Amino acid sequence: MTGGSVKSPQRGGRGDIVVDQLPNLGREKEMLTAMGMSSMDDLFSDIPEDVRRTTPLDLRPPQTEEEILREARMLLGTNISVDSRPSFLGAGLYSNFVPTMVPMLATRGEFLTSYTPYQPEVSQGMLQAMWEFQTMISELVSLPVSNVSMYDASTAAAEAITCAVRVHERKATQKSTVYVSELVPPHRMSVIENYTQGAEISIHKLPHREDGLLDLEAAVSAEGACAVYVEQPNAFGLLDEGLMQLKSLIGENTALIIGVQPVSLGLIAAPGDYGADIVVGEGQPFGIGPTAGGPIYGLFACRDAYIRQMPGRIVGLSKDSDGGRAFTLTLSTREQHIRRHRATSNICSNETLIALMGAMHMALLGPEGLQKLARRNAGACSAAKKAILALDGVEAVHPQGVHFNEFAIRLNKPAADLLNFLDHECDITGGFDLSQWWPERENEILICATDQIDLEDIEELVEGIQDWEEGYE
Amino acid sequence: MSDLFGFKGAEGAGYAQPDPISDDFEFPVALKRENLPRWPRASEPEIVRHYTWLSTRSHGIDSGFYPLGSCTMKHNPRVNERIVQMPGMNDLHALAPASHLQGLMAIFHEMQEMLEHCAGMDTVTLQPVAGAQGEFTAMRCIQEYHRDIGESHRNKVIVPDSAHGTNPASAAMCGYEIIEIPSLDNGQLDLDALRAVVGNDTAAMMITNPSTLGIFEPEIAEAAKIVHDAGGQMYYDGANFNAILGKTNPGLMGFDAVHYNLHKTFSQPHGGGGPGAGPIGVKSHLADYLPAPLVVASEDEEGEVWFDWYEPSKSIGKVQQWHGNAGATVRSWAYYRRYGRELETMSEHAVLNANYLRHRIMNPSDEVRSKIHAMPADGAPADVVKHEFTLSMTPVKDSTGVTGKDIAKRLLDYGYMSPTLYFPMIVPECLMFEPTETESKEAIDQFADDFLTILTEDPEMVKTAPHDTPVKRVDEVWAARNLVLRHPIDE
Repeated sequence: MTGGSVKSPQRGGRGDIVVDQLPNLGREKEMLTAMGMSSMDDLFSDIPEDVRRTTPLDLRPPQTEEEILREARMLLGTNISVDSRPSFLGAGLYSNFVPTMVPMLATRGEFLTSYTPYQPEVSQGMLQAMWEFQTMISELVSLPVSNVSMYDASTAAAEAITCAVRVHERKATQKSTVYVSELVPPHRMSVIENYTQGAEISIHKLPHREDGLLDLEAAVSAEGACAVYVEQPNAFGLLDEGLMQLKSLIGENTALIIGVQPVSLGLIAAPGDYGADIVVGEGQPFGIGPTAGGPIYGLFACRDAYIRQMPGRIVGLSKDSDGGRAFTLTLSTREQHIRRHRATSNICSNETLIALMGAMHMALLGPEGLQKLARRNAGACSAAKKAILALDGVEAVHPQGVHFNEFAIRLNKPAADLLNFLDHECDITGGFDLSQWWPERENEILICATDQIDLEDIEELVEGIQDWEEGYE
Repeated sequence: MSDLFGFKGAEGAGYAQPDPISDDFEFPVALKRENLPRWPRASEPEIVRHYTWLSTRSHGIDSGFYPLGSCTMKHNPRVNERIVQMPGMNDLHALAPASHLQGLMAIFHEMQEMLEHCAGMDTVTLQPVAGAQGEFTAMRCIQEYHRDIGESHRNKVIVPDSAHGTNPASAAMCGYEIIEIPSLDNGQLDLDALRAVVGNDTAAMMITNPSTLGIFEPEIAEAAKIVHDAGGQMYYDGANFNAILGKTNPGLMGFDAVHYNLHKTFSQPHGGGGPGAGPIGVKSHLADYLPAPLVVASEDEEGEVWFDWYEPSKSIGKVQQWHGNAGATVRSWAYYRRYGRELETMSEHAVLNANYLRHRIMNPSDEVRSKIHAMPADGAPADVVKHEFTLSMTPVKDSTGVTGKDIAKRLLDYGYMSPTLYFPMIVPECLMFEPTETESKEAIDQFADDFLTILTEDPEMVKTAPHDTPVKRVDEVWAARNLVLRHPIDE
């Protein structure tokens, strides 16, 4: 494999098939000779013997585009997608419709194959698109500043907390302390714990009442802490009017961080209008399908006081040497490539292209389109809830609750049993087994109905649940 | 000039949606939104034209040569995009039962094994979604490992001064104190400096090899021994992995943990800044700490293969809420299949092209040389480099006043993306070049000729570059002073 000779073109492939990605295959000798070298091995003569591989890579032979495509189609074809059957699975990722224009334009090579716009003079397009994205998010959540994206909602929440601690630590009476809703799902909580343990931030849980809403009396204990993190709607899909009083309870010196499902903001008040200092969330419903959880993008928007401590890329307006309008990345002195270990975050690669897809989707929706999309989600959730709660053997976990997108039901038998029945006997993905998050909730299911659910889907789910119940009679 | 917020058309002009299946819902009055966001009101043709116009004001690999060092801007095969747009990818839910995701999990499993093999590691997780997150994740695993074996006093992480900025930032986020050690004058790791700082408080050393100067560290095995003898762990920053596939691997060099940049080595498109993917691989002693999920395969009596998610026993938990950037994993799988074991040829050509470009720039013809004001200096003396190299523009600056930044901006006029500028910081007036394996000899020749031509040009013209770009040189100070971070909309 590593003989002394220049490799022939056949070396780059299997039989007649050569790797078709290398323009200089077969021209090695010409280039080596120009450099006064005789073999490809000369290029690796600096790797000491004791760390060299002695055997070739034990991997499969190269394939052609056609073969790869065929195999990909076969493999991905065995997956069961949310679009192929009635699916009531939400829990943080939401089935949606992305207008055709979005992937078509976002995959234009100038966007798709560009790097972070470090050279603004040839990157005005992506920079302007991200500045417009910042503006649309700012409008959506009613806060003055948005960054260009975080990895997902969980890292956005985690870095919002570390950001808030840096801002409020000096005046905090509860040093390095934050209060987090006890209803934050465990996986998101785990991300938060990983991101905050290094700064030795202590996390207290905010309790909820029996009806699933935040216990405001208990929340008063967060006063003087660095931050409070709650979600609207919460993990049970509950909308909580009480959160509107939270900022006045915790005070000016404690950051109020609210996690949102952005589609809900077509109907629900923007958190910036009821005291939120930082808003985070999963941007995914705008721009891309649930995508097995990635790549998606996290939202991060904040008040001015947090700008210099926030993570991520930010685009600012500027001017060029002729005085013309121009855009550039700004506030980079917060970032790791300048400030190294004193940076506000280690984030470098982010989710810009997915945020661009989100921007295109939002731009196409427009204000009234957003409102209609929110109505479609609220309407689907409401219709599903009415139909399912009318069934015998099913009760609401939060009967008084106002829900967006999703709601929890309680059965008199394990939820996993119903979900398996629906999956295998009815080709329905029935929802999320809440015991996967909280083992004591083994009879509970989180049912999500987005704009992609129609009345027939709900009818099928209702019939499926009835069939399952009958199987027990 | 196309302004998104200048579109103020009819309500709902953008895209028509079906009506709600029910309007029978009631929200508390106080929670109702009063003012809708002032998003544009635009039709599809207007939006298409807006974003198409913006795309013409962006520059990707597809637009031209992109020698951005440390970023590995290689060609992105389009079949990879076609594959992730197929049914069974964007429409998958992360929380669906494993039986719904078998095809995806088969791809994950194959990628885990391929990455383990290429890096000489025992176990790989695909969870981290960026290189920096991979670094953070691995340092968290090392931290928990040390806590577990009663070595939690190890609170210092050593990084060379040539390291990527993410290395110290990621370790600091875990709570580590950072010890930066200077490089030797030739850019190589200084073993004496390393010996002077290791001790029983050393948690790990983070290093990339080849270094950011494009130099393979000749004493990497000795460095690993020094750190291991002190009880520390060796972390490999995989940003420069494109140089060495099939030639050596981090396991052979003595590393305990490594991250891969799927968006560099394995061609996940950079997308203007992301998404990326930063899987990590570790030796067996760290495997129990990896974040979930891992995919494991089993075979039933009939030989049918089944894939399951698996969470290691002492897992640090999650660093992203779901299964990492699954779409990036699938694109990189398609890319890997294109090469298979010929990934070695890929690395050979990456190194061939970098050395050839360096040779062409540093050895102009006598005629060209006679016109050049001053030649740049090598960032580090070396007979051969790996996938990238650095040049110092100090001689040019001393002779003409033209800075590295001026040259970078002038290259934009020629239709190129500039090399990485002023990094690594240990090379004064640094330009860092990485042509990658997907540039032809002709493209490299042309770039070298154009680069040399710039060195002959009137310094005043270079200092005021760029001249032929959509905007002239952008005032970054103005942006930072004024902080106009959103469109004023109605003003």
